[in-house]
Amino acid sequence: MAGGGGCVTLRGAQIRDLLDSKHNVLFDCDGVIWNGETAVTGAPEVVSLLKQRGKRVFFVTNNCTRPRENYVQKFSRLGFADVAEEEIFSSAYCSAAYLRDVARLQGKVYVIGCDGVMKELRDAGVPVAEEEDAEPGASIYTCPLDPDVKAVLVGYDENFTFMKLAKACCYLRSSECLFLATDPDPWHPLRGGRVTPGSGSLTAALETASSRKATVIGKPSRFMFNCIASQFGLDPARSLMIGDRLETDVLFGSNCGLTTVLTLTGVSTLQEALAFRDSQEPQQKHCAPDYVMESVADFLQALEE
Amino acid sequence: MAASKCTRLTGVLSRQLLDSVDSVLFDCDGVIWRGDQAIPGAPEVINSLKKNRKRVFFVTNNSTKTRQMYADKLGKLGFNASADEVFGTAYCSAVYLKNVCKLDGKVYLIGSNAMRQELEDVGIRPVGVGPDPVSGVQKDWANVPLDNEVRAVLVGFDEHFSYMKLNRALQYLCNPDCQFVGTNTDTRLPLEGGKAVPGTGCLLKAVETAAQRQAQVVGKPNIFMFECVASQFGLDPERCLMVGDRLDTDIMLGSNCGLKTLLTLTGVSTVAEAEANQKSECPQRQKMVPDYYIESIADILPALQA
Repeated sequence: MAGGGGCVTLRGAQIRDLLDSKHNVLFDCDGVIWNGETAVTGAPEVVSLLKQRGKRVFFVTNNCTRPRENYVQKFSRLGFADVAEEEIFSSAYCSAAYLRDVARLQGKVYVIGCDGVMKELRDAGVPVAEEEDAEPGASIYTCPLDPDVKAVLVGYDENFTFMKLAKACCYLRSSECLFLATDPDPWHPLRGGRVTPGSGSLTAALETASSRKATVIGKPSRFMFNCIASQFGLDPARSLMIGDRLETDVLFGSNCGLTTVLTLTGVSTLQEALAFRDSQEPQQKHCAPDYVMESVADFLQALEE
Repeated sequence: MAASKCTRLTGVLSRQLLDSVDSVLFDCDGVIWRGDQAIPGAPEVINSLKKNRKRVFFVTNNSTKTRQMYADKLGKLGFNASADEVFGTAYCSAVYLKNVCKLDGKVYLIGSNAMRQELEDVGIRPVGVGPDPVSGVQKDWANVPLDNEVRAVLVGFDEHFSYMKLNRALQYLCNPDCQFVGTNTDTRLPLEGGKAVPGTGCLLKAVETAAQRQAQVVGKPNIFMFECVASQFGLDPERCLMVGDRLDTDIMLGSNCGLKTLLTLTGVSTVAEAEANQKSECPQRQKMVPDYYIESIADILPALQA
């Protein structure tokens, strides 16, 4: 089975053979096809050529800050032709799908998150508990709780406050209240080697407060793959996962039985990949990719032939 | 340490225990008070201990008050106590940064005005206290102006905790030479019935996760809190009794420092939990078994007044 990969550097004919054996290509976004507002050189051409060759292409991202329609605009802005909303699977979109289709939520969800998540929930028809503007002097002891809340969803939230943490904790005291997190990423890279706190850090605060573990929707959990597969019928054996973060993208691919490729245009390094490969711990071995490439542009030669 | 542990403290045993110690260290929440109400009989016990020439200290993980604020609260509730007998984490963190970290520079503080006060009193300048809402857009946050005199990040209880504070702490902690200290890891604030409020442990966990670093923690069960008292007052651990309501903080501190330990049942932990720890094979859990337990601290009053 896939996973516990050998970190083989892909070259020449091997790249063509790999592509020939796969029908579906799943790309992570940040650090793989773009960095911030700049496309990785060659990425738009690679995506275009894959589709011309009859491959199905999907984008699987833990980033929960935008709704899918914003992603469509970003793809267009960065020179990717014809990327359709249906091909984009973000943790925000998949969290909404989970609440609607898997949990079949009867009631409202209390959200710690930003616009991207709110929009996807509304689009999926999942009722969101309204966040009333804090009255001056409101405290956790006096603020109202909505009796219809049956789930808490936590994700990246630049407006995160102590009050939100406390309210979410109150809702989670009921064992019937679901506890979901969009993704586990502890931090995200920004330009110039800087970082910003991720959903994982906010989730850790809430898990500690509630003494409960969140169900995580995003990579490396299988749910995002199940979400794609339920809509498009994917065969894992004919699917390729390309990512830049070993503990999320590669582990995700491994968990779902996909062949995995690490590109070196993002977070993880070849050294880190080799360390996982050589580790004795099974969980760590699953973070080692089958293949390593400098960049997705390395596919171009094989595709242009 | 007593060969037999987790014994109910009866009248006769109380007298023996009290005779065997010179100093008694009390946790506060759930032991001598609950919220703003004294546990009935607790003031009489503390005052009686002092009349019996025992020294009394107050050791609490709560970081929201200065020593003086605690002394004021103790006074209002009828306890005869002074500020220098109080060891809260606001004070102890300041001492820790100064004496153990040997901090030479400022500290980025996620915490209360009380913490700010205690830091200033030992000559350390904190930055960052108070509300700090986000502004600008995401790419601005990695570029928040950093104070290049900051040499440490200190995390305590902060009702103004926000994404922006978490972000600033992360930026400072990206420098491996920046020290990282937390007041305590308690996950909930002690509360008088009703909603449980998240504690410092949650805020610290958020910062630790974002920075992928572990903080040095000052509060119980870390031995520093005891060392702080002992170094100022010359205590002999074998002649000290630790009285608390939490097995994982108070009793573990006592075990870690070689003190005698007494669990009161007016707070968080139960006898069942203590007995379960006693039966377990795990060495860590064995440290969370008190020598004695008692329903309420008030129950030792007859032995004191005899």
